[in-house]
Amino acid sequence: MALLEVHGLSKSFGGVTAIADLDFGVPEGQVYSVIGPNGAGKTTLFNMLCGIYSPDEGSIRFLDREIIGRLPHQVAELGVSRTFQNLQMFFNMSVLDNVKVGCHLRTRGRIWSNALRLPGTRREEKQAERWAREAILFCGLDDYLESHADALPYGVLKRLEIARALAASPRLLLMDEPAAGLNDTETKQMRSLIRQISGTGITVLLVEHNMGLVMDVSDRILVIDYGSRLAEGPPEAIQNDPRVIEAYLGGEIEYAV
Amino acid sequence: MSHLRGFYLLVAAALLLPLIFPDNYYVTVVGVTAALHAILAVSLNLLMGYAGQISLGHAGFFGIGAYASAILTTRYGWNPWPAMLFGLVLTGVVAFTLGRPILRLKGHYLAMATLGLGIIINILLVQTGSLTGGPDGLGGIPTLSLFGWAVDSDLRWYTVIVSVLLAVVWLVLNIINSRSGRALRALHGSEVAAEMMGINTTTTKTGVFVLAALIASLAGSLFAHQQAFVSPDSFSFFFSIELVTMVVLGGMASTYGAIMGAIILTFLPELLVVFEDFEVLIFGAILMSMMIFLPQGLFVGMQKLWRRVATEESRRGAA
Repeated sequence: MALLEVHGLSKSFGGVTAIADLDFGVPEGQVYSVIGPNGAGKTTLFNMLCGIYSPDEGSIRFLDREIIGRLPHQVAELGVSRTFQNLQMFFNMSVLDNVKVGCHLRTRGRIWSNALRLPGTRREEKQAERWAREAILFCGLDDYLESHADALPYGVLKRLEIARALAASPRLLLMDEPAAGLNDTETKQMRSLIRQISGTGITVLLVEHNMGLVMDVSDRILVIDYGSRLAEGPPEAIQNDPRVIEAYLGGEIEYAV
Repeated sequence: MSHLRGFYLLVAAALLLPLIFPDNYYVTVVGVTAALHAILAVSLNLLMGYAGQISLGHAGFFGIGAYASAILTTRYGWNPWPAMLFGLVLTGVVAFTLGRPILRLKGHYLAMATLGLGIIINILLVQTGSLTGGPDGLGGIPTLSLFGWAVDSDLRWYTVIVSVLLAVVWLVLNIINSRSGRALRALHGSEVAAEMMGINTTTTKTGVFVLAALIASLAGSLFAHQQAFVSPDSFSFFFSIELVTMVVLGGMASTYGAIMGAIILTFLPELLVVFEDFEVLIFGAILMSMMIFLPQGLFVGMQKLWRRVATEESRRGAA
């Protein structure tokens, strides 16, 4: 059974259909990519998977539990973490503190025990610091440990978002365009980082426009267009699929007016 | 612990001041008012500076605490301590029930709603005259006494209020540098990312709103007993604005900045009295130029300047 199973998922905004009757399953331990032309509904899909939007129809099961109806923080509790296409950094905090926020669900300290600095809080603080440093090291950000987030370049922030998500120790990591806006060197680093993440056993669901990266790191790829499934399979099959080529390169374009 | 380094300086200053200047008007009278304002500014900063939720009605909670203590001790003959506790419970209930719907709003709308809340509380204090004494206020509030130690001199009030300030600062610093404090700051940074990290933003917002209100209520009770008299003027919309000014002037998201803002805004009018008619004019000009030259606030701005000078010094030293 797949880690994440999506059945009959539909969502429309007003009269515009963003996702229509979508089915797919993400097997545990794989890098699963979702691609499609701009406006195909990828980000809408992501937002439904993590509880930000609620779909009109269908079901999303993670570890055999229904995600629909849960708030984002409740979805996070199940073991889902994510990064954002447009950076959602805590710019008012240091790199270390940003990543420590990622440890929120792995610690339990309540406000009164934090306020009185009880021994439990001291222990947890040390633990959170260890976890955060691990994630920072893993993403190659050790040089920026004490830096303030608002002083960092874009490429570093992209990795910082990943470090923060990893600090939560998720079962499933949703990555929304991790390579968008990165130069070639940074994209290469991102590629090996995604591989490393997958190597630790975390399942990765990737949305990305850089086809080289997608073909390189993915175990399976789902192509969506106009909110429905166009093709699904391993990278080689997708690359040679005529429907995919048509959707991307145009072929005969029919505009639905 | 490193996050308390500045706190020890604060404790030292609080202890030394009355020892060096006993019976000094600026220490034991204006200083006590400044400390009371600092308690309020620190609590408002928790909400505004750290969690990013503006409130223009903070004086309302200060008023609930003050009037709970005033009414229960004078009209019903309660002991001040249970009266204070009652004020806290009442504030907690009001802040919790109104906080949840109000904090769904953001930015200007939240400012408007909290503004309304503060004004409503103030109007209630004026209009329920049979209980609150109306616009004339309520006098004859007994002083506090702790196990037979009556707080009946300026120096004793200094001891009590400054101790409460230090306790509040210690608690707030501990919160800020822990899991709950990071949740607050995350809320300010990006609500959607905070949610995805497992932070329940709704309960976190309500929680910090209630906590800030409780601290303000405690300050209100102390204020009532110290002044022995309360009137609605002390809890008006203008005072809420003054509290916001303290936080912004010192520097948002800095507990020491809030204290500094409170001290400056309390002392400046005292010192400007010599200018008589021009007092308010000069006061306004000083505030404006402070914000023009140090837009991040006095404390935060100076901190950054200091850090820049320090790194340049070390660079020059290395070269």
